[in-house]
Amino acid sequence: MKLAPASLRRSLRAIRDGESANGGQAQAAPAVAADAPGRRAGPAYVIEARDLTKIYDKRYIALNALNMRVRKNAVYGLVGPNGAGKSTAFRLMLGLQRPTAGEIRVLGRPMRAESAELRRRIGFLPTAPAFPRHMTPISYLEFVGRIVGLPSDRAKIRMTTLLQSVDLSDAASQRIEGFSTGMATRLGIAAALMNDPELLVLDEPTYGLDPPGRRQMIELIRELSGRDRTIIIATHILNDVERVCTDVGVIAQGRLIYDGPMTEMRRLARQNSITVEIEGNVASFERQISELDEPGSVRWERVGSEIRITFLGIGAVTEYLKRLLELVEGSGVELLRLDTGSHEVEEAFLRRLEEDRSRGLLRAQDWTAGGGARQADPEEATREDGPRSGAA
Amino acid sequence: MQAYLYLLRLDMEQLARSWLVRIWILLLVGPAGFFVVVAANQRELASETLAAYVAAVLAPFSWLVVAVLSAGAVNGEADVIADSILSRSVTRRAYIWSKFTARVGVFLAVYAAVTVPLVYLVLRFAVNDAAIGGVVWGLLTVASLLVFLAAFGIALSAIFRNMLTSVLTVLVATVASGAVLQFLAVDWMSTTGVVSGLPETFRGESSVAEQLRVLAVFGVLSVIATAAGMVWFRRKDL
Repeated sequence: MKLAPASLRRSLRAIRDGESANGGQAQAAPAVAADAPGRRAGPAYVIEARDLTKIYDKRYIALNALNMRVRKNAVYGLVGPNGAGKSTAFRLMLGLQRPTAGEIRVLGRPMRAESAELRRRIGFLPTAPAFPRHMTPISYLEFVGRIVGLPSDRAKIRMTTLLQSVDLSDAASQRIEGFSTGMATRLGIAAALMNDPELLVLDEPTYGLDPPGRRQMIELIRELSGRDRTIIIATHILNDVERVCTDVGVIAQGRLIYDGPMTEMRRLARQNSITVEIEGNVASFERQISELDEPGSVRWERVGSEIRITFLGIGAVTEYLKRLLELVEGSGVELLRLDTGSHEVEEAFLRRLEEDRSRGLLRAQDWTAGGGARQADPEEATREDGPRSGAA
Repeated sequence: MQAYLYLLRLDMEQLARSWLVRIWILLLVGPAGFFVVVAANQRELASETLAAYVAAVLAPFSWLVVAVLSAGAVNGEADVIADSILSRSVTRRAYIWSKFTARVGVFLAVYAAVTVPLVYLVLRFAVNDAAIGGVVWGLLTVASLLVFLAAFGIALSAIFRNMLTSVLTVLVATVASGAVLQFLAVDWMSTTGVVSGLPETFRGESSVAEQLRVLAVFGVLSVIATAAGMVWFRRKDL
């Protein structure tokens, strides 16, 4: 896959500025944002879900009193295992489904099935998007342009620009039914951007993409972020979230078990944990690991060629690192790699899931005793830098 | 309104490209030519020829094709609706209304394109015992049956998630309704009752009140089916 983020950025800027991306000539047509309802100051939160509940056929609970808020201009990652409720949350955000209970407000207004005007300000990329099969990218994007209310000439300019940006120019006249998953995803991105949305909702945006395509998609999301645009991404690939998101929500079994800034997630995750990869007299090194701190304060495990050491004491990680390097030198092993927590977010995520599972019973008791789930602590919710909700 | 017009165009284009529609047209046109030739050579009565064509060709083939095309109108593209249409700035009312109007419009256009020349040729070359008013009433009555079948099918396609279920329900319901209505001694409301009374209608021997009664019943049933389909679809989870 060849997405062209830089080209897309130029294209979007050109569209905004009312220029043709091909020639850069000034267009008589006004900027895209100007013909759609203009960017408004709007509410601080672009998405606000309150006790959002979705039960399918009175049998399956997809969302369980979900409380979630997405700040304006944030890149929000909604992470969770498959079946956690991410796609259901998105469908409720777009008015494709009706909540069983609770409320969802998008861009400050309640989202309903008939909220077409509100959806005009949103771009949506579903997982493995389905398109009318007999259409071509040109006819589909033209159709999207018209239903979002763009005049024909402007829709054509934007369409060609976006097709070029997502590298579908060569396939522009092919029928969509022959498209690979990656091509469909790229077309989905182009369609989601046709209306220059204030809110971009991406459900598993890297689905079906090869590794370079995935990297380029992440780059593209970075390029699209900011500029008065909020992006919400659902994924179960934590590396993607860590790379682009400013805020993160962890969803499990239809509940948000963490909701806050990415930095806070990292802080919560942080342990004095160091991973090393060594060669040489490894056995001698391993025998001395427990001497790095007080007895019982060091835990270690071997995972393949790596040794993962966790310091349970209260010392600073720099101190432990110093001791570890001394041990490396003293035990005569050769250090191949040293890592101070590249898996921290993944661990935090898994820890959150584990905590949530172990607290399930307790929460159920809280619910019956207190008459409602205590998913988001109001005090925490108002704290600027802290997590807005969480099981901890 | 703009979204509705684009969806209408999209669905009509889709139907124009449909092989089922093309086969349907061939199945109607081929036998129509045969009926004209036979009626001219054998000096058949125009009213009987037209009624026989409706009973033997138009009704069964149209019943099958309209049932499939209407009962698969919405659930046949469920994933596309959610991903590519209703997640954009399109209301559900615009979408479902475009389906009703496009499908009914195409069915009636095909029906008119086949029957109007057929009627002209049969009246011209067969023994003309038909009354123009009676032919118009007869064609309108058959059209009202088609409209009802289409509305019923689209409503079921909005209700059922599975296309096969909705198609089979339409087919079974229309067959079963004939037997039930006959049992209830109101077989003038059934499709078989209407078709069997066509020779008299074409000759202008049926009373206007009877004809109006049939049109009114199928008109009301079509409106009810359309309203039910729209209400259901507007509340449906996609």
